Amino acid sequence: MNGVEQTLIGGVSGGTAILLPAFGELIGQRAGIINLGAEGAMLAGALGAYAVTQSTGSLWLGIPAGAGAGALVGLAHAWLTVRRGGDQIASGLLLWFLALGGTSVFGTTYVGTTITPLSNLSIPGLSSIPWIGAILFDQDILVYLGYILVVVIWFVFYRTRVGLTLRATGERPEVVAAAGGKPQVVQIIAVVLGAGIGGLGGAQLSIGYVGNWFNNMTSGYGFVAVAVVLFGAWRPIRVMAGAYLFGVVLAAASVLQAHGVSVNQYLLDAMPYLVTLVVLAIFARRGRSDTPEALTRSLSRSG
Amino acid sequence: MTAAPVAETEDIEPITTHQPVETSSGGPAPESSARYAVILVVGYVISFIVFGVLVAFKGADPISVYHTIISSTVLNANALQQLALRAVPIGLAALAVAVPARAGLINVGGEGQLIMGAVAATGVGVAVGPHVPGVFSWILTCAAGAGAGGIWALIAGVLRTWLGAAEAVTTLLLNFIANDIMLYLIYQAWRDPHGSGQPQSVPLVHSAQLPKMFGSQVNVGVLIALCFVALTWVLLQRTGWGFQLRVVGGNREAARRSGLKVQYLLLSSMAVGGALAGLGGALNLDGVETQLRPDITVTFGYVAFLASFLGRHRPIKVVGAAILFSAIALSGNGLQISNGLDGTIVDILLALIVVVPLVVTNFRRRAA
Repeated sequence: MNGVEQTLIGGVSGGTAILLPAFGELIGQRAGIINLGAEGAMLAGALGAYAVTQSTGSLWLGIPAGAGAGALVGLAHAWLTVRRGGDQIASGLLLWFLALGGTSVFGTTYVGTTITPLSNLSIPGLSSIPWIGAILFDQDILVYLGYILVVVIWFVFYRTRVGLTLRATGERPEVVAAAGGKPQVVQIIAVVLGAGIGGLGGAQLSIGYVGNWFNNMTSGYGFVAVAVVLFGAWRPIRVMAGAYLFGVVLAAASVLQAHGVSVNQYLLDAMPYLVTLVVLAIFARRGRSDTPEALTRSLSRSG
Repeated sequence: MTAAPVAETEDIEPITTHQPVETSSGGPAPESSARYAVILVVGYVISFIVFGVLVAFKGADPISVYHTIISSTVLNANALQQLALRAVPIGLAALAVAVPARAGLINVGGEGQLIMGAVAATGVGVAVGPHVPGVFSWILTCAAGAGAGGIWALIAGVLRTWLGAAEAVTTLLLNFIANDIMLYLIYQAWRDPHGSGQPQSVPLVHSAQLPKMFGSQVNVGVLIALCFVALTWVLLQRTGWGFQLRVVGGNREAARRSGLKVQYLLLSSMAVGGALAGLGGALNLDGVETQLRPDITVTFGYVAFLASFLGRHRPIKVVGAAILFSAIALSGNGLQISNGLDGTIVDILLALIVVVPLVVTNFRRRAA
């Protein structure tokens, strides 16, 4: 296995821990709600999945537990921002602190323990394609969930009535209300569902990637996910590309070091953020991106 | 949802309304404001009870936990001094959120601005510190820190005003870039060769460190920070600039039509805010840390954002909230030692306090 292949395998696997919360964030932001609590949802998901897997011995119970724990954080965010009309940024940050404190308090009993992480499922046929097979089709099930989600999200967003209502809610909630829809319900479902998917991203770290739990194990992946959504200009396929790009860059640093290549790891780590910043600067101009309008309004306190 | 059916207009209201920074229509009527205060107090009491139940669940005695929180932060001289030192970076970073918030901007970048302030102070302090008298080194490092923090915030300001990129997100991204720059300097360019394996930068020479006052642990930085808090209050409450910021924050279009230089006001509010956080980073470095290390800010910038939110972006209240949060953050050590709890449990208390005004927002709007 050469370094490039190793980097790409790690990139897809690690990138999935960014892709899932990014998809979750995408759904919420398309409904007009930004959730910096994605980081908190990931932490809750990582611990929830690990704790259930460790005590039941079943990874198949751990995965839904991760989604459930993330969704709980999303429910809190939805209640505070949609129902109570609270500040979205403040709500997201405080839920992150809540999850940071909560997971380290309730996770102490799991620190230092290990489980057997999700095993890789080789997809018959596809996995034997030279090179690509090992990178894309010999991964764990959460990675495949990412592939499925991009198709599902794209289809729902652009080819169904539900997706139309979701996108309309993110643009002009008052119009949706006038047309007899329930924008608040749409937003609540979107945020809860999104945070649940974010929880799966946390599960990919704890029970998919390493098979253990430590405090603050998501170390900013949830914030990266928020950035990736903007990098991807709120479009599912670009969001996926962005998530894998982040994943590959993060994986490249460690692979290069393992091969004894002298590389500036920290400047390499900063690259995805810099690229996102540049992409934002280029595409931010009004009318040149899919920025949900209600989101723009929430992000500028005065119209 | 549990809520009763609501009117159609109310259905969409929360999406477009936000915690007002300052409404031009004046505050709520006195009686509703009293009602709001009562609801708020009840909310905080519930928060403290919830936290008490939580620590009881973890096997600690709630009364003893609250006693530890108070005694480890304010009840003895040593703790008070630690609190004063901790409040410097958090308080100034909180003002860095409050100043742009007056103009309607969301600065989530206090963390990055603190880091850049500390980085610039280290660079300047290590370079010139050994060659000039201490006082020059202090001035130069603080100026460099404030400048670096201001520029860091201004990047997001420029991206916002010229290109329309949401500053709430760009400031967040800049935090991560700042952190990577600092890590690079700590592990590579500025690494202390005598650091006995610890990742840290070359320390400031003794004369470049801020002197401690009256034989205590509190250094001059606390006084400098207090001066800048007062200055910020004057700027926001007593100058035309501060007033214009509020106008822009209230209604940007109306501000533009009445001839205010909106772009200049937005950019200058970001620059001033960033400079305050940068100064906080520099003072923390000169007075407390004396060298860069990886966890130098440990989420101070995000705590500061929540403090500014809790203080509703009014300078004095913001600093009060920042001191409260500094105390809570500081009490984590005490809880670990005296009550056998995980120190990070204080993050939960912090979140429970901030959640109160968020939940109560709606009561306020109905009352007002």
